[in-house]
Amino acid sequence: MGLLKTTTLGMLLASATHAAVAADWRLAVDLRAMQSDGRDSFLENGQGKLRFDDEDEGIRLGRLYAAIDAPLGESFAVHVEGSTWDDDKNPFDLTEAWLEYRPVPRAGFKPRLRLGAFYPPMSLESRAVGWETPYTITPSAIGSWIGEELRTVGLESQVDWLGTRLGHSLDLQFTAALFGWNDPAGTMLATHGFALHDRQTTLFGRVGAPQSDPTLAKKELFHEMDDRPGFYVGAQASWHDRAVLNVLRYDNRADPSVFDAAINDFAWLTKFDAAALRLEGSEGWTAILQALDGDTWIAPGPWLRWRFDSQSALLAKRFGAHMFAARYDAFAVEFRDNPRAWGSEVGHAWTVAYTLDRGGPWRLALEWLRVTSDVRARIPLGESPLATESKIEFSARYTLSGSL
Amino acid sequence: MSHPSRTLLGLAAAATLGAGLACASASAATLEVSALQRNGKPLAGAVITLEAQPPLLPPIAPLQAVIDQVGLAFAPDVLVVPVNSSVRFPNSDAVSHQVYSFSPARKFQLPLYRGKPYPPVTFDEPGIVTLGCNIHDRMLAYIVVTAAPFFGRTDAAGHWSASELPAGRYQLTLWHPLLHEAQVPGQVVEVSREQESVELRLTKPLRPAPLTGRPHSWDY
Repeated sequence: MGLLKTTTLGMLLASATHAAVAADWRLAVDLRAMQSDGRDSFLENGQGKLRFDDEDEGIRLGRLYAAIDAPLGESFAVHVEGSTWDDDKNPFDLTEAWLEYRPVPRAGFKPRLRLGAFYPPMSLESRAVGWETPYTITPSAIGSWIGEELRTVGLESQVDWLGTRLGHSLDLQFTAALFGWNDPAGTMLATHGFALHDRQTTLFGRVGAPQSDPTLAKKELFHEMDDRPGFYVGAQASWHDRAVLNVLRYDNRADPSVFDAAINDFAWLTKFDAAALRLEGSEGWTAILQALDGDTWIAPGPWLRWRFDSQSALLAKRFGAHMFAARYDAFAVEFRDNPRAWGSEVGHAWTVAYTLDRGGPWRLALEWLRVTSDVRARIPLGESPLATESKIEFSARYTLSGSL
Repeated sequence: MSHPSRTLLGLAAAATLGAGLACASASAATLEVSALQRNGKPLAGAVITLEAQPPLLPPIAPLQAVIDQVGLAFAPDVLVVPVNSSVRFPNSDAVSHQVYSFSPARKFQLPLYRGKPYPPVTFDEPGIVTLGCNIHDRMLAYIVVTAAPFFGRTDAAGHWSASELPAGRYQLTLWHPLLHEAQVPGQVVEVSREQESVELRLTKPLRPAPLTGRPHSWDY
């Protein structure tokens, strides 16, 4: 993480020294009131699927968020954002930070390069500030996993063809990236499977992992172990902004035989395909379909394989500042092609949410979520593998923004 | 020193124009244009231009116009100006914008700014100029630069009219940001009576309008 730290500090310094030119900042605090019957959360080394379990009821900090966007001259810009999640080893830590090259479009083509740490472009749901979903408090199982385990620490190139500005009906985007420091990606899927939560892993932070021995360290997820860069390639087509289709192929190209004692984990070779479709109508309707399908391997000797997949369907309707959303998630992890093996799981979840956003500083949201799962790893903990967990969560978020 | 034949041509044109104007005072007409979508509903906000065939009247004098940037949107989002007009692009938002156009009729960019640091941009070629902001991809506006002496936009009922028209033949064109036709619809109209009316009806449905009303914190 040395290089990552140096790069990030350099970017922070660069943004600070250029702040005099024009920098936009944003600060948000998101408080929650919770009623939950969740089992011990994965954040506390349990096998519960929720961020807040039955011991977290009451008033909680959802997120403290800070971000700065600063241009560096005409064609470069820096974006740095960080969060406090209340359960991390660092009281405040970065979630994304990048340096961007974005020249003015010519002849209908808009190129963009990003260097830093950021999310791969695969979620059509997490479209709001802070990589949050505006439809619900809790993102889909797919979105939760991306926030937990994935971060591109590397270079991403993107080119947009601005077709609608040229009189056509389609806009197209192509993306390719090379990255490192994501070798542990997959370890959380193998140890606790999918979860439903809005807690994004910070760049230098840790996330709890279920361990029979609680003295074992929590997981550090952004770590380079084998000096082999991973890649992803993606494409997005948008029809008048009404129908957006996004596909992504991801391969972290990790060497699964590498074990790193520093983080007490293997490099997890993770490959997946992801697709998402978002349909929006002028009457305020939105539908989002997402699918994820992949594998993750480690090779402590023999190669061990976990196959994973998830799908979600969301329907939302906006009435001015009011929005109602309902989502269904299905997910499965299968260890060694055996659904009853330790490490295998299957589950599904329902989420219903109401949000009130008048465009001012306040955003209020109320969400009910129920997740039913059959997790084989609960058996060694002496629990029943089958569990239904539910929560009702109220969120009040206040955002301040301005310019320097 | 001007070429003799060009001077002669110029005189001839002036004479014809004079005759046209004289004729106009004798029989000035009004043209009522009604623009309809394919489904028969009125087409509001369409840009209509009207030019004599052959062109007799000079374009009207250049204007000084303003397109503001408010709430991460251009205001207005469609502007029609005579050729050689100049347009200012103040930024009333708290955030910076970087305005650009890659349209052949006028390519330009205004480096990242807030407030109103730049002189106006002159549009000296007829055509449609599509504006964008390199920071906020959703921002979109159009400037229609025309050499026609008569132009305007249809009202909510799809109506536009021109009065005091000299009698003669005119090329009528219609443009709309959501137009789906490959060619801009239009027709040649003969204006002879005091009151003429023309109906322009699209042959294809409009493209979907940009989605609005989403909070700015989306698509960040």
